[in-house]
Amino acid sequence: MGTDLLERRAVISGVGQSAIGRRVERSGLQLTLDAVLAAVEDAGLTLDDIDGLAMFPGGGAANLPGYANGNLYEVQDALRITTTWRQGIIEGMALPFYGPAMAVATGQARHVVVWRTVKEGSAARAAGGRPAYGAGKPVAEGPLAWLLPIGMLSPVCQVAPYAARYMHEYGVTREQLAWIPVTQRAHAALNPDAVYRSALTVDDYLAARMISTPMCLYDCDVPADGATAIVVSAAGTAPALRAPVRIEAMAGVVEGRPSWEQWEDMGRVGHGAARAMWARTGLRPGDVDVAQLYDGFTIEAVWWLEAMGFCGTGEAGAFVEGGERIALDGELPLNTWGGQLSGGRLHAAFGHTAEAVRQLRGEAGARQVRGAEVAAVTNVGGLEAGAALLTRWN
Amino acid sequence: MDATPGIPPAVTEETGPFWAAAREGRLVVEQCASCGAESFPPRGICRSCRGRTMVHAEITGRGTVYSLTVNHQRWLPGLQVPYAIVLVEFPGHPGVRVAGRLRGCPPEEAAIGMTVDIGFEPGPGGFAIPSFVAAP
Repeated sequence: MGTDLLERRAVISGVGQSAIGRRVERSGLQLTLDAVLAAVEDAGLTLDDIDGLAMFPGGGAANLPGYANGNLYEVQDALRITTTWRQGIIEGMALPFYGPAMAVATGQARHVVVWRTVKEGSAARAAGGRPAYGAGKPVAEGPLAWLLPIGMLSPVCQVAPYAARYMHEYGVTREQLAWIPVTQRAHAALNPDAVYRSALTVDDYLAARMISTPMCLYDCDVPADGATAIVVSAAGTAPALRAPVRIEAMAGVVEGRPSWEQWEDMGRVGHGAARAMWARTGLRPGDVDVAQLYDGFTIEAVWWLEAMGFCGTGEAGAFVEGGERIALDGELPLNTWGGQLSGGRLHAAFGHTAEAVRQLRGEAGARQVRGAEVAAVTNVGGLEAGAALLTRWN
Repeated sequence: MDATPGIPPAVTEETGPFWAAAREGRLVVEQCASCGAESFPPRGICRSCRGRTMVHAEITGRGTVYSLTVNHQRWLPGLQVPYAIVLVEFPGHPGVRVAGRLRGCPPEEAAIGMTVDIGFEPGPGGFAIPSFVAAP
């Protein structure tokens, strides 16, 4: 352990976002350019400093309407960037800054900008509010070949049996889990860029329509339009950067089965990535001041709370019940921007990473967690899984 | 029975035997010729001993619902909702868990631990899809 870890040779230097909303009337390319330009300026850099580009996902991953947008080469051309390193991937993604950190740590680039642009809000509207996996493909391939033909047509249907089994095994209730979306909505109310900001109560949650049991409307994140860009820089460039943030530790682990319904034990997703991450740092779960845990669905925040060791396996329901522990002034403020459940599905932990950086800089405005020095960021789990700790520069 | 709307599967070297057997109303999984372990979905290699010679074994008899969901959202035009999807395991067949529709009882009566019979129903693209039947 120590400064020989490659992630210690990288910093996150900038974050930027386009307009975010249920519907933003700009092309994916324009949203991307807005976010990239904002992130580079936020880093205290200029486009001439950028020599690496990465995006998620790369080409050929358009399996959901509005999911994949644009092309790395179009952005390279539009901005006239000469790049010595590029990446457009799903496999090996782990975290937004995972590949870029390796690139700058190994000298392949000095400043990499990585972005994720979604137009799923517009796509949902165009599809009558019901975009389905595979809608753009005539056949279902890979793990989806076992799911789309039988009617597991959306990620929510695919993760729902995991949630049902988890709740059955550990006696966790919807009344307990409601506190995750309810508390995150309270955080979103303090975030002017969040998609949904009006108050949400436990009663609202319990009265909401079911999508795929036990998951109701408020257990699902919000399809949105928007772009997030993150600049990752070589640590040696820190003196030239406006407000860098350290990467204390990061890990990406794919283990188990490639789809949620095949997991042998429906309480262990994310544990491998979290264990690998904690092995790279002397910090412990109790040192974390603010947690940005992936929440494509409520159950994903649940498994990350447990995988990261913030509570024991099967204990997340009791941990979040009442909302005090995960509130802004609680022991573990959770998804302080509203998360994807209220802030919008900016996806792949790009929104989570941007918020962690802002919290560690003290730039989170009305939702600032006082004295935030250590932030946890996690991504997905069950397929790609990533876990990291970011820390304040000084 | 009208075909269930959905997205048909891509058929590969590994998955072809499953879908062919499904058309005959039979549930087949891969079994390792070396160690006898069964695995699903088929990968053309044993997930236990990594043996490359796989044969196809038919699973007969009843299964148990490991988990489930009842989908209420009309994801595609013509999709009848609600419907139950069950994940089914089979006594004596570790390593095998198959997802399918559930029929034979109202969706809201689907429960973890319930017993089901193996079955299939007409699915998208002319494929027969797993459709378990609640045991009386």
